[in-house]
Amino acid sequence: MSPDVAVLDWPALDFFGLAMVEVVLAGALAGVVGVLVVLRERAFFTMSLTHATFPGAVAAAILGVSIPLGAAVAAVALVAVAVAIGRIRSQGPAVASGVMLTAGFALGAFLQSVAPLAIDVESFLVGQVLAVTGADIALTAVLLAVALGVWALAGRHLVFSSVDEEGYRSAGMRPWAPEAVSLALIAATVVAIMPVVGAILGVALIVAPAATARLLVRDYRWMLVLAPLIGIGSGVLGLLASRWLDVAAGGAIALVAALAYGAAWLARALAERGVAARGAAGRGSIEARTP
Amino acid sequence: MSTAPEAVVEIADAAFGYGGAPVLTGVGFTVLPGEAVALIGPNGAGKSTLLAGILGLAEHDARTFRVPEGRGEIGVLPQSSEIDPAFPVTLEQVVAMGRTPRLGLRWPGRSDRRIVADAIEAVGLTPQRRTRFGDLSGGQRQRGLLARALASEPRLLLLDEPFNGLDQGSRDALLETIRTLKSRGVALLITTHDLDLARAVCDRTLLVNQQQIAFDDTDCVLTLERVEAAFASHVIEIDGHTLTTTAHHESEHSAHHRLLQDDDAERDRAQHR
Repeated sequence: MSPDVAVLDWPALDFFGLAMVEVVLAGALAGVVGVLVVLRERAFFTMSLTHATFPGAVAAAILGVSIPLGAAVAAVALVAVAVAIGRIRSQGPAVASGVMLTAGFALGAFLQSVAPLAIDVESFLVGQVLAVTGADIALTAVLLAVALGVWALAGRHLVFSSVDEEGYRSAGMRPWAPEAVSLALIAATVVAIMPVVGAILGVALIVAPAATARLLVRDYRWMLVLAPLIGIGSGVLGLLASRWLDVAAGGAIALVAALAYGAAWLARALAERGVAARGAAGRGSIEARTP
Repeated sequence: MSTAPEAVVEIADAAFGYGGAPVLTGVGFTVLPGEAVALIGPNGAGKSTLLAGILGLAEHDARTFRVPEGRGEIGVLPQSSEIDPAFPVTLEQVVAMGRTPRLGLRWPGRSDRRIVADAIEAVGLTPQRRTRFGDLSGGQRQRGLLARALASEPRLLLLDEPFNGLDQGSRDALLETIRTLKSRGVALLITTHDLDLARAVCDRTLLVNQQQIAFDDTDCVLTLERVEAAFASHVIEIDGHTLTTTAHHESEHSAHHRLLQDDDAERDRAQHR
Protein backbone atom coordinates (compact mmCIF):
# COMPACT_ATOMS: atom_id res chain seq x y z
CA MET A 1 0.00 0.00 0.00
CA SER A 2 1.02 3.63 -0.15
CA PRO A 3 3.18 4.88 2.74
CA ASP A 4 0.58 7.28 4.17
CA VAL A 5 -1.58 4.38 5.35
CA ALA A 6 1.34 2.67 7.08
CA VAL A 7 0.03 4.05 10.39
CA LEU A 8 -2.73 1.48 10.08
CA ASP A 9 -0.21 -1.33 10.48
CA TRP A 10 -0.64 -2.89 13.86
CA PRO A 11 2.79 -3.16 15.48
CA ALA A 12 1.55 -5.55 18.14
CA LEU A 13 0.83 -8.27 15.57
CA ASP A 14 3.38 -10.14 13.49
CA PHE A 15 2.62 -10.95 9.85
CA PHE A 16 0.87 -14.18 10.83
CA GLY A 17 -1.33 -12.37 13.35
CA LEU A 18 -2.29 -9.79 10.70
CA ALA A 19 -3.05 -12.60 8.27
CA MET A 20 -5.28 -14.24 10.89
CA VAL A 21 -7.24 -11.01 11.45
CA GLU A 22 -7.67 -10.64 7.69
CA VAL A 23 -8.90 -14.20 7.06
CA VAL A 24 -11.46 -13.88 9.87
CA LEU A 25 -12.81 -10.59 8.46
CA ALA A 26 -12.65 -11.85 4.86
CA GLY A 27 -14.35 -15.14 5.79
CA ALA A 28 -17.18 -13.28 7.52
CA LEU A 29 -17.56 -10.81 4.62
CA ALA A 30 -17.47 -13.55 1.97
CA GLY A 31 -20.11 -15.52 3.92
CA VAL A 32 -22.50 -12.60 4.36
CA VAL A 33 -22.23 -11.49 0.72
CA GLY A 34 -22.15 -15.12 -0.47
CA VAL A 35 -25.72 -15.59 0.83
CA LEU A 36 -26.72 -12.85 -1.62
CA VAL A 37 -24.80 -14.60 -4.42
CA VAL A 38 -26.45 -17.96 -3.72
CA LEU A 39 -30.01 -16.65 -3.18
CA ARG A 40 -29.87 -14.49 -6.32
CA GLU A 41 -28.10 -17.24 -8.31
CA ARG A 42 -25.18 -15.02 -9.23
CA ALA A 43 -22.38 -17.59 -8.76
CA PHE A 44 -21.28 -17.56 -12.40
CA PHE A 45 -21.41 -13.77 -12.49
CA THR A 46 -19.19 -13.69 -9.39
CA MET A 47 -16.77 -16.12 -11.00
CA SER A 48 -16.53 -13.87 -14.07
CA LEU A 49 -16.08 -10.84 -11.87
CA THR A 50 -13.18 -12.44 -10.00
CA HIS A 51 -11.40 -13.01 -13.31
CA ALA A 52 -12.25 -9.51 -14.49
CA THR A 53 -10.45 -7.94 -11.54
CA PHE A 54 -7.18 -9.64 -12.52
CA PRO A 55 -6.16 -7.27 -15.38
CA GLY A 56 -7.04 -4.27 -13.16
CA ALA A 57 -4.68 -5.51 -10.48
CA VAL A 58 -1.88 -6.09 -13.00
CA ALA A 59 -2.42 -2.65 -14.55
CA ALA A 60 -2.39 -1.06 -11.10
CA ALA A 61 0.89 -2.82 -10.29
CA ILE A 62 2.42 -1.57 -13.56
CA LEU A 63 1.22 1.99 -12.90
CA GLY A 64 2.24 1.82 -9.26
CA VAL A 65 -1.20 2.76 -7.92
CA SER A 66 -3.39 1.04 -5.31
CA ILE A 67 -4.10 -2.52 -6.40
CA PRO A 68 -7.65 -2.73 -4.91
CA LEU A 69 -8.43 0.51 -6.77
CA GLY A 70 -7.20 -0.96 -10.05
CA ALA A 71 -9.18 -4.14 -9.45
CA ALA A 72 -12.32 -2.13 -8.59
CA VAL A 73 -12.05 0.00 -11.74
CA ALA A 74 -11.62 -3.13 -13.88
CA ALA A 75 -14.60 -4.78 -12.17
CA VAL A 76 -16.87 -1.80 -12.87
CA ALA A 77 -15.66 -1.57 -16.49
CA LEU A 78 -16.23 -5.26 -17.14
CA VAL A 79 -19.67 -5.23 -15.48
CA ALA A 80 -20.56 -2.44 -17.94
CA VAL A 81 -19.28 -4.60 -20.83
CA ALA A 82 -21.29 -7.55 -19.52
CA VAL A 83 -24.47 -5.46 -19.34
CA ALA A 84 -23.88 -4.31 -22.94
CA ILE A 85 -23.28 -7.86 -24.22
CA GLY A 86 -26.30 -9.08 -22.28
CA ARG A 87 -28.47 -6.68 -24.26
CA ILE A 88 -27.44 -8.11 -27.61
CA ARG A 89 -30.38 -10.07 -28.92
CA SER A 90 -30.10 -13.83 -28.41
CA GLN A 91 -27.07 -13.47 -26.11
CA GLY A 92 -28.06 -14.17 -22.53
CA PRO A 93 -26.32 -13.04 -19.34
CA ALA A 94 -24.46 -16.37 -19.12
CA VAL A 95 -22.83 -15.69 -22.48
CA ALA A 96 -21.92 -12.19 -21.32
CA SER A 97 -20.38 -13.55 -18.13
CA GLY A 98 -18.44 -16.18 -20.08
CA VAL A 99 -16.99 -13.61 -22.49
CA MET A 100 -16.14 -11.33 -19.58
CA LEU A 101 -14.40 -14.18 -17.75
CA THR A 102 -12.04 -15.15 -20.56
CA ALA A 103 -11.49 -11.58 -21.78
CA GLY A 104 -10.56 -10.42 -18.28
CA PHE A 105 -8.15 -13.24 -17.71
CA ALA A 106 -6.60 -12.85 -21.18
CA LEU A 107 -6.16 -9.11 -20.67
CA GLY A 108 -4.42 -9.70 -17.35
CA ALA A 109 -2.05 -12.25 -18.88
CA PHE A 110 -1.38 -9.90 -21.80
CA LEU A 111 -0.63 -6.93 -19.54
CA GLN A 112 1.68 -9.05 -17.43
CA SER A 113 3.63 -10.18 -20.53
CA VAL A 114 4.17 -6.61 -21.74
CA ALA A 115 4.92 -5.18 -18.29
CA PRO A 116 8.35 -3.55 -18.09
CA LEU A 117 8.84 -4.85 -14.54
CA ALA A 118 8.53 -8.34 -13.17
CA ILE A 119 5.11 -8.58 -11.50
CA ASP A 120 4.27 -11.27 -9.00
CA VAL A 121 1.15 -12.42 -10.84
CA GLU A 122 0.66 -15.39 -8.57
CA SER A 123 -0.23 -13.18 -5.61
CA PHE A 124 -3.06 -11.64 -7.64
CA LEU A 125 -4.34 -15.01 -8.79
CA VAL A 126 -4.26 -17.06 -5.58
CA GLY A 127 -3.58 -14.39 -2.95
CA GLN A 128 -0.75 -13.78 -0.54
CA VAL A 129 -2.37 -13.38 2.82
CA LEU A 130 0.92 -13.37 4.75
CA ALA A 131 1.78 -10.09 3.01
CA VAL A 132 -1.50 -8.44 4.05
CA THR A 133 -1.34 -4.80 5.16
CA GLY A 134 -3.28 -2.73 7.67
CA ALA A 135 -5.01 -0.98 4.78
CA ASP A 136 -6.21 -4.32 3.37
CA ILE A 137 -7.61 -5.21 6.78
CA ALA A 138 -9.28 -1.81 7.13
CA LEU A 139 -10.92 -2.16 3.70
CA THR A 140 -12.25 -5.63 4.56
CA ALA A 141 -13.54 -4.45 7.96
CA VAL A 142 -15.32 -1.42 6.50
CA LEU A 143 -16.92 -3.54 3.79
CA LEU A 144 -18.05 -6.11 6.35
CA ALA A 145 -19.76 -3.31 8.30
CA VAL A 146 -21.38 -2.03 5.08
CA ALA A 147 -22.57 -5.53 4.09
CA LEU A 148 -24.10 -6.11 7.53
CA GLY A 149 -25.73 -2.67 7.38
CA VAL A 150 -27.24 -3.38 3.97
CA TRP A 151 -28.64 -6.71 5.19
CA ALA A 152 -30.08 -5.07 8.31
CA LEU A 153 -31.74 -2.19 6.45
CA ALA A 154 -32.65 -3.72 3.10
CA GLY A 155 -32.59 -7.47 3.76
CA ARG A 156 -36.34 -7.76 3.10
CA HIS A 157 -35.93 -6.02 -0.24
CA LEU A 158 -32.98 -8.24 -1.19
CA VAL A 159 -34.85 -11.44 -0.33
CA PHE A 160 -38.21 -10.35 -1.78
CA SER A 161 -36.67 -9.36 -5.11
CA SER A 162 -34.61 -12.59 -5.16
CA VAL A 163 -37.49 -14.94 -4.47
CA ASP A 164 -40.15 -13.24 -6.60
CA GLU A 165 -38.96 -10.42 -8.86
CA GLU A 166 -42.34 -10.18 -10.61
CA GLY A 167 -44.14 -9.91 -7.27
CA TYR A 168 -41.65 -7.25 -6.14
CA ARG A 169 -42.41 -5.22 -9.28
CA SER A 170 -46.18 -5.72 -8.89
CA ALA A 171 -45.94 -4.41 -5.34
CA GLY A 172 -44.85 -1.08 -6.83
CA MET A 173 -41.11 -1.38 -6.19
CA ARG A 174 -38.20 -1.34 -8.64
CA PRO A 175 -36.14 -4.54 -8.81
CA TRP A 176 -33.11 -2.75 -10.31
CA ALA A 177 -32.34 -1.10 -6.96
CA PRO A 178 -31.70 -4.32 -4.96
CA GLU A 179 -29.97 -5.77 -8.03
CA ALA A 180 -27.58 -2.81 -8.26
CA VAL A 181 -26.86 -2.91 -4.52
CA SER A 182 -26.19 -6.67 -4.74
CA LEU A 183 -23.82 -6.41 -7.70
CA ALA A 184 -21.94 -3.53 -6.09
CA LEU A 185 -21.54 -5.49 -2.84
CA ILE A 186 -20.37 -8.60 -4.72
CA ALA A 187 -17.85 -6.62 -6.77
CA ALA A 188 -16.50 -4.81 -3.70
CA THR A 189 -16.16 -8.11 -1.84
CA VAL A 190 -14.26 -9.73 -4.70
CA VAL A 191 -11.82 -6.80 -4.57
CA ALA A 192 -11.52 -6.76 -0.79
CA ILE A 193 -10.73 -10.46 -0.38
CA MET A 194 -8.14 -10.50 -3.21
CA PRO A 195 -5.20 -10.37 -0.77
CA VAL A 196 -6.50 -13.52 0.95
CA VAL A 197 -7.46 -15.85 -1.90
CA GLY A 198 -6.63 -13.86 -5.01
CA ALA A 199 -8.80 -13.23 -8.05
CA ILE A 200 -9.23 -16.83 -9.15
CA LEU A 201 -9.93 -18.46 -5.79
CA GLY A 202 -12.14 -15.62 -4.49
CA VAL A 203 -15.27 -17.27 -5.83
CA ALA A 204 -14.59 -20.34 -3.66
CA LEU A 205 -14.60 -18.33 -0.44
CA ILE A 206 -17.72 -16.38 -1.50
CA VAL A 207 -19.89 -19.15 -2.94
CA ALA A 208 -18.88 -22.31 -1.05
CA PRO A 209 -19.75 -21.26 2.56
CA ALA A 210 -23.14 -19.84 1.53
CA ALA A 211 -23.89 -22.86 -0.67
CA THR A 212 -22.93 -25.11 2.27
CA ALA A 213 -25.29 -23.21 4.57
CA ARG A 214 -28.00 -23.43 1.90
CA LEU A 215 -27.75 -27.23 2.02
CA LEU A 216 -28.08 -27.34 5.80
CA VAL A 217 -30.91 -24.91 6.65
CA ARG A 218 -34.43 -24.12 5.39
CA ASP A 219 -34.59 -20.47 6.46
CA TYR A 220 -32.35 -17.82 4.85
CA ARG A 221 -31.76 -16.07 8.19
CA TRP A 222 -29.85 -19.11 9.40
CA MET A 223 -27.78 -18.95 6.21
CA LEU A 224 -26.71 -15.48 7.32
CA VAL A 225 -25.45 -16.98 10.59
CA LEU A 226 -23.91 -20.18 9.23
CA ALA A 227 -22.26 -18.88 6.05
CA PRO A 228 -19.96 -16.35 7.79
CA LEU A 229 -19.06 -18.98 10.42
CA ILE A 230 -18.12 -21.47 7.69
CA GLY A 231 -16.22 -18.72 5.87
CA ILE A 232 -14.27 -17.84 9.00
CA GLY A 233 -13.65 -21.53 9.75
CA SER A 234 -12.38 -22.12 6.21
CA GLY A 235 -10.07 -19.12 6.44
CA VAL A 236 -8.64 -20.00 9.85
CA LEU A 237 -8.23 -23.72 9.12
CA GLY A 238 -6.73 -23.02 5.71
CA LEU A 239 -4.26 -20.52 7.14
CA LEU A 240 -3.21 -22.89 9.94
CA ALA A 241 -2.88 -25.76 7.44
CA SER A 242 -0.69 -23.60 5.23
CA ARG A 243 1.61 -23.01 8.20
CA TRP A 244 1.74 -26.64 9.37
CA LEU A 245 2.05 -28.20 5.92
CA ASP A 246 4.02 -25.34 4.40
CA VAL A 247 1.59 -24.89 1.48
CA ALA A 248 0.05 -21.80 -0.17
CA ALA A 249 -2.59 -20.22 2.09
CA GLY A 250 -4.97 -19.17 -0.72
CA GLY A 251 -5.23 -22.68 -2.12
CA ALA A 252 -5.58 -24.23 1.35
CA ILE A 253 -8.42 -21.84 2.29
CA ALA A 254 -10.31 -22.46 -0.95
CA LEU A 255 -9.88 -26.22 -0.52
CA VAL A 256 -11.21 -26.19 3.05
CA ALA A 257 -14.25 -24.22 1.86
CA ALA A 258 -14.84 -26.73 -0.93
CA LEU A 259 -14.40 -29.66 1.48
CA ALA A 260 -16.99 -28.11 3.83
CA TYR A 261 -19.43 -28.02 0.93
CA GLY A 262 -18.66 -31.65 0.05
CA ALA A 263 -19.14 -32.72 3.69
CA ALA A 264 -22.48 -30.88 3.94
CA TRP A 265 -23.67 -32.43 0.69
CA LEU A 266 -22.70 -35.90 1.91
CA ALA A 267 -24.36 -35.33 5.31
CA ARG A 268 -27.58 -34.25 3.62
CA ALA A 269 -27.55 -37.13 1.18
CA LEU A 270 -27.06 -39.59 4.06
CA ALA A 271 -29.81 -37.93 6.10
CA GLU A 272 -32.22 -38.14 3.15
CA ARG A 273 -31.32 -41.80 2.62
CA GLY A 274 -31.93 -42.40 6.31
CA VAL A 275 -35.40 -40.86 6.04
CA ALA A 276 -36.12 -42.88 2.89
CA ALA A 277 -34.88 -46.08 4.55
CA ARG A 278 -37.06 -45.49 7.62
CA GLY A 279 -40.00 -44.78 5.30
CA ALA A 280 -39.33 -48.00 3.40
CA ALA A 281 -39.09 -49.95 6.67
CA GLY A 282 -42.41 -48.45 7.79
CA ARG A 283 -44.08 -49.43 4.54
CA GLY A 284 -42.53 -52.89 4.83
CA SER A 285 -44.10 -53.51 8.23
CA ILE A 286 -47.51 -52.37 7.01
CA GLU A 287 -47.23 -54.65 4.01
CA ALA A 288 -46.22 -57.47 6.34
CA ARG A 289 -49.40 -56.97 8.34
CA THR A 290 -51.61 -56.79 5.29
CA PRO A 291 -50.55 -59.61 3.00
CA MET B 1 -69.88 16.60 1.35
CA SER B 2 -71.00 13.88 -0.97
CA THR B 3 -72.80 10.90 0.53
CA ALA B 4 -71.70 8.50 -2.25
CA PRO B 5 -68.33 6.97 -1.43
CA GLU B 6 -65.48 8.08 -3.66
CA ALA B 7 -64.48 5.42 -6.16
CA VAL B 8 -61.18 3.65 -5.55
CA VAL B 9 -60.77 3.07 -9.29
CA GLU B 10 -62.19 5.45 -11.86
CA ILE B 11 -61.29 4.81 -15.48
CA ALA B 12 -62.97 6.30 -18.56
CA ASP B 13 -62.29 6.00 -22.33
CA ALA B 14 -59.13 4.05 -21.71
CA ALA B 15 -56.94 1.90 -23.95
CA PHE B 16 -54.26 -0.43 -22.61
CA GLY B 17 -51.25 -1.99 -24.31
CA TYR B 18 -47.51 -2.48 -24.42
CA GLY B 19 -46.28 0.21 -26.78
CA GLY B 20 -47.67 -1.15 -30.07
CA ALA B 21 -51.32 -1.46 -31.02
CA PRO B 22 -53.57 -1.36 -27.94
CA VAL B 23 -54.59 -4.75 -26.55
CA LEU B 24 -57.78 -3.51 -24.95
CA THR B 25 -59.82 -0.43 -25.88
CA GLY B 26 -62.93 1.48 -24.86
CA VAL B 27 -62.57 0.73 -21.17
CA GLY B 28 -64.60 2.67 -18.63
CA PHE B 29 -65.56 1.48 -15.16
CA THR B 30 -65.38 2.28 -11.47
CA VAL B 31 -64.75 0.20 -8.38
CA LEU B 32 -66.18 1.53 -5.12
CA PRO B 33 -64.82 0.83 -1.64
CA GLY B 34 -66.24 -2.47 -0.38
CA GLU B 35 -67.23 -3.52 -3.87
CA ALA B 36 -66.05 -6.52 -5.87
CA VAL B 37 -66.00 -6.23 -9.66
CA ALA B 38 -65.60 -9.34 -11.81
CA LEU B 39 -63.42 -9.05 -14.91
CA ILE B 40 -64.55 -11.64 -17.42
CA GLY B 41 -63.44 -12.46 -20.95
CA PRO B 42 -61.85 -15.24 -22.98
CA ASN B 43 -58.10 -15.89 -23.04
CA GLY B 44 -56.29 -13.11 -24.85
CA ALA B 45 -59.14 -10.66 -24.15
CA GLY B 46 -56.79 -8.23 -22.40
CA LYS B 47 -57.70 -8.98 -18.78
CA SER B 48 -54.09 -9.34 -17.64
CA THR B 49 -53.12 -6.23 -19.62
CA LEU B 50 -55.82 -4.27 -17.80
CA LEU B 51 -54.48 -5.46 -14.42
CA ALA B 52 -50.92 -4.61 -15.52
CA GLY B 53 -52.14 -1.18 -16.62
CA ILE B 54 -53.67 -0.51 -13.19
CA LEU B 55 -50.32 -1.50 -11.64
CA GLY B 56 -48.42 0.80 -13.99
CA LEU B 57 -46.68 -2.15 -15.67
CA ALA B 58 -48.54 -1.66 -18.99
CA GLU B 59 -49.20 1.60 -20.82
CA HIS B 60 -52.57 3.33 -20.85
CA ASP B 61 -54.15 6.16 -22.74
CA ALA B 62 -57.27 7.45 -20.99
CA ARG B 63 -59.56 10.42 -20.49
CA THR B 64 -59.87 9.59 -16.81
CA PHE B 65 -57.44 7.31 -15.02
CA ARG B 66 -57.57 7.31 -11.25
CA VAL B 67 -56.16 4.36 -9.26
CA PRO B 68 -54.55 4.22 -5.79
CA GLU B 69 -50.97 5.42 -6.09
CA GLY B 70 -49.55 5.21 -2.58
CA ARG B 71 -47.00 2.54 -1.74
CA GLY B 72 -48.72 -0.74 -0.93
CA GLU B 73 -52.21 0.61 -1.71
CA ILE B 74 -52.72 -1.98 -4.46
CA GLY B 75 -52.39 -5.65 -3.55
CA VAL B 76 -52.05 -8.37 -6.19
CA LEU B 77 -52.70 -12.08 -6.17
CA PRO B 78 -50.91 -13.37 -9.28
CA GLN B 79 -52.34 -16.22 -11.34
CA SER B 80 -49.24 -18.30 -10.75
CA SER B 81 -46.27 -17.73 -8.52
CA GLU B 82 -42.67 -17.81 -9.66
CA ILE B 83 -41.43 -18.65 -6.19
CA ASP B 84 -38.85 -21.45 -6.37
CA PRO B 85 -40.14 -24.20 -4.03
CA ALA B 86 -36.57 -24.80 -2.81
CA PHE B 87 -36.05 -21.16 -1.76
CA PRO B 88 -35.33 -21.05 1.97
CA VAL B 89 -38.22 -18.84 3.16
CA THR B 90 -41.05 -19.64 5.55
CA LEU B 91 -44.70 -18.79 4.87
CA GLU B 92 -44.47 -16.07 7.53
CA GLN B 93 -41.48 -14.49 5.76
CA VAL B 94 -43.28 -14.53 2.39
CA VAL B 95 -46.33 -12.85 3.95
CA ALA B 96 -44.10 -10.31 5.71
CA MET B 97 -42.68 -9.36 2.29
CA GLY B 98 -46.11 -7.89 1.54
CA ARG B 99 -45.34 -5.33 4.24
CA THR B 100 -42.17 -4.19 2.39
CA PRO B 101 -43.78 -1.45 0.25
CA ARG B 102 -45.22 0.18 3.39
CA LEU B 103 -41.99 -0.19 5.37
CA GLY B 104 -39.39 0.93 2.84
CA LEU B 105 -36.14 0.67 4.81
CA ARG B 106 -37.91 0.96 8.16
CA TRP B 107 -37.61 -1.92 10.65
CA PRO B 108 -40.97 -3.69 11.22
CA GLY B 109 -42.63 -2.78 14.52
CA ARG B 110 -45.16 -4.55 16.71
CA SER B 111 -48.11 -3.32 14.62
CA ASP B 112 -46.47 -4.62 11.43
CA ARG B 113 -46.01 -8.06 12.97
CA ARG B 114 -49.64 -7.94 14.13
CA ILE B 115 -50.82 -7.16 10.57
CA VAL B 116 -48.77 -10.04 9.16
CA ALA B 117 -50.17 -12.44 11.78
CA ASP B 118 -53.73 -11.23 11.02
CA ALA B 119 -53.20 -11.72 7.28
CA ILE B 120 -52.06 -15.32 7.87
CA GLU B 121 -55.04 -15.84 10.19
CA ALA B 122 -57.41 -14.43 7.56
CA VAL B 123 -56.42 -17.16 5.08
CA GLY B 124 -56.45 -19.84 7.77
CA LEU B 125 -52.78 -20.79 7.66
CA THR B 126 -51.68 -19.87 11.19
CA PRO B 127 -50.59 -23.45 12.04
CA GLN B 128 -48.36 -23.50 8.93
CA ARG B 129 -46.73 -20.10 9.45
CA ARG B 130 -43.27 -21.52 10.10
CA THR B 131 -43.44 -24.07 7.25
CA ARG B 132 -41.12 -23.52 4.33
CA PHE B 133 -43.19 -21.91 1.57
CA GLY B 134 -42.22 -24.58 -0.96
CA ASP B 135 -43.45 -27.36 1.34
CA LEU B 136 -47.05 -26.06 1.30
CA SER B 137 -49.66 -27.51 -1.07
CA GLY B 138 -50.60 -25.58 -4.20
CA GLY B 139 -53.79 -24.25 -2.63
CA GLN B 140 -51.99 -23.24 0.55
CA ARG B 141 -49.33 -21.37 -1.44
CA GLN B 142 -52.08 -19.50 -3.26
CA ARG B 143 -53.63 -18.56 0.10
CA GLY B 144 -50.18 -17.57 1.35
CA LEU B 145 -49.77 -15.20 -1.59
CA LEU B 146 -53.23 -13.76 -0.84
CA ALA B 147 -52.04 -13.14 2.73
CA ARG B 148 -48.94 -11.42 1.31
CA ALA B 149 -51.23 -9.12 -0.69
CA LEU B 150 -53.35 -8.43 2.43
CA ALA B 151 -50.27 -7.59 4.51
CA SER B 152 -49.80 -4.32 2.62
CA GLU B 153 -53.30 -3.27 3.77
CA PRO B 154 -54.41 -2.51 0.20
CA ARG B 155 -57.29 -0.20 -0.73
CA LEU B 156 -57.57 -2.12 -3.99
CA LEU B 157 -56.97 -5.85 -4.38
CA LEU B 158 -56.43 -7.41 -7.81
CA LEU B 159 -57.11 -11.16 -7.91
CA ASP B 160 -56.04 -12.89 -11.14
CA GLU B 161 -57.95 -16.18 -11.60
CA PRO B 162 -57.93 -16.81 -7.83
CA PHE B 163 -60.19 -19.88 -8.02
CA ASN B 164 -58.16 -21.86 -10.54
CA GLY B 165 -56.98 -25.18 -9.21
CA LEU B 166 -58.46 -24.72 -5.73
CA ASP B 167 -60.19 -27.57 -3.93
CA GLN B 168 -63.68 -27.03 -2.49
CA GLY B 169 -62.40 -26.12 0.99
CA SER B 170 -59.96 -23.50 -0.32
CA ARG B 171 -62.68 -22.13 -2.63
CA ASP B 172 -65.16 -21.65 0.21
CA ALA B 173 -62.45 -20.12 2.40
CA LEU B 174 -61.51 -17.70 -0.39
CA LEU B 175 -65.15 -16.67 -0.94
CA GLU B 176 -65.45 -16.02 2.79
CA THR B 177 -62.21 -13.98 2.79
CA ILE B 178 -63.50 -11.89 -0.15
CA ARG B 179 -66.75 -11.17 1.75
CA THR B 180 -64.78 -10.14 4.84
CA LEU B 181 -62.56 -7.82 2.80
CA LYS B 182 -65.59 -6.21 1.20
CA SER B 183 -67.10 -5.58 4.61
CA ARG B 184 -63.85 -3.84 5.59
CA GLY B 185 -64.16 -1.50 2.61
CA VAL B 186 -61.50 -3.02 0.37
CA ALA B 187 -62.22 -2.68 -3.36
CA LEU B 188 -61.64 -5.84 -5.39
CA LEU B 189 -61.17 -6.53 -9.08
CA ILE B 190 -61.33 -10.27 -9.78
CA THR B 191 -60.61 -11.97 -13.11
CA THR B 192 -62.37 -15.29 -13.44
CA HIS B 193 -63.76 -17.74 -15.97
CA ASP B 194 -66.25 -18.93 -13.41
CA LEU B 195 -69.59 -17.16 -13.88
CA ASP B 196 -71.16 -18.67 -10.78
CA LEU B 197 -68.37 -17.37 -8.57
CA ALA B 198 -68.75 -13.95 -10.17
CA ARG B 199 -72.43 -14.08 -9.23
CA ALA B 200 -71.64 -15.24 -5.71
CA VAL B 201 -69.40 -12.35 -4.64
CA CYS B 202 -69.13 -9.73 -7.39
CA ASP B 203 -71.55 -6.79 -7.33
CA ARG B 204 -70.71 -5.64 -10.83
CA THR B 205 -69.07 -7.26 -13.82
CA LEU B 206 -66.79 -5.92 -16.54
CA LEU B 207 -67.03 -8.03 -19.69
CA VAL B 208 -64.21 -7.60 -22.22
CA ASN B 209 -62.80 -9.10 -25.38
CA GLN B 210 -60.17 -6.75 -26.81
CA GLN B 211 -62.70 -4.03 -26.16
CA GLN B 212 -65.17 -3.44 -23.39
CA ILE B 213 -68.46 -5.23 -24.04
CA ALA B 214 -70.39 -4.38 -20.91
CA PHE B 215 -70.06 -3.00 -17.42
CA ASP B 216 -73.06 -3.20 -15.14
CA ASP B 217 -74.60 -5.16 -12.27
CA THR B 218 -73.40 -8.75 -12.52
CA ASP B 219 -76.87 -10.16 -13.21
CA CYS B 220 -77.44 -7.72 -16.06
CA VAL B 221 -74.05 -8.34 -17.65
CA LEU B 222 -74.03 -12.10 -17.52
CA THR B 223 -76.81 -12.61 -20.05
CA LEU B 224 -76.70 -15.01 -22.96
CA GLU B 225 -76.30 -12.28 -25.55
CA ARG B 226 -73.48 -10.45 -23.84
CA VAL B 227 -71.48 -13.48 -22.88
CA GLU B 228 -71.95 -14.71 -26.42
CA ALA B 229 -70.54 -11.43 -27.69
CA ALA B 230 -67.53 -11.67 -25.41
CA PHE B 231 -66.83 -15.29 -26.10
CA ALA B 232 -67.78 -15.07 -29.78
CA SER B 233 -66.69 -18.16 -31.64
CA HIS B 234 -66.71 -20.45 -28.64
CA VAL B 235 -69.09 -23.07 -27.40
CA ILE B 236 -70.27 -22.09 -23.95
CA GLU B 237 -72.74 -23.24 -21.43
CA ILE B 238 -74.66 -20.79 -19.29
CA ASP B 239 -77.74 -21.24 -17.11
CA GLY B 240 -78.27 -24.71 -18.51
CA HIS B 241 -78.34 -23.52 -22.13
CA THR B 242 -75.64 -24.50 -24.56
CA LEU B 243 -74.52 -21.95 -27.09
CA THR B 244 -72.68 -22.90 -30.23
CA THR B 245 -71.33 -19.97 -32.16
CA THR B 246 -69.12 -19.82 -35.22
CA ALA B 247 -65.74 -21.28 -34.40
CA HIS B 248 -63.03 -18.90 -35.55
CA HIS B 249 -60.59 -20.06 -32.93
CA GLU B 250 -60.89 -23.79 -33.10
CA SER B 251 -57.74 -24.34 -31.04
CA GLU B 252 -59.10 -22.47 -28.02
CA HIS B 253 -62.52 -24.00 -28.38
CA SER B 254 -62.16 -26.86 -25.93
CA ALA B 255 -60.43 -24.75 -23.28
CA HIS B 256 -63.27 -22.27 -23.07
CA HIS B 257 -65.86 -24.92 -23.22
CA ARG B 258 -64.28 -26.47 -20.16
CA LEU B 259 -63.77 -23.23 -18.27
CA LEU B 260 -67.36 -22.15 -18.64
CA GLN B 261 -68.81 -25.41 -17.51
CA ASP B 262 -70.46 -25.97 -14.21
CA ASP B 263 -67.87 -25.70 -11.36
CA ASP B 264 -68.11 -29.22 -10.02
CA ALA B 265 -67.69 -30.84 -13.40
CA GLU B 266 -64.75 -28.58 -14.10
CA ARG B 267 -63.11 -29.40 -10.84
CA ASP B 268 -63.59 -33.11 -11.31
CA ARG B 269 -61.96 -32.95 -14.68
CA ALA B 270 -59.13 -30.80 -13.33
CA GLN B 271 -58.42 -33.38 -10.69
CA HIS B 272 -58.31 -36.18 -13.25
CA ARG B 273 -55.89 -34.36 -15.52
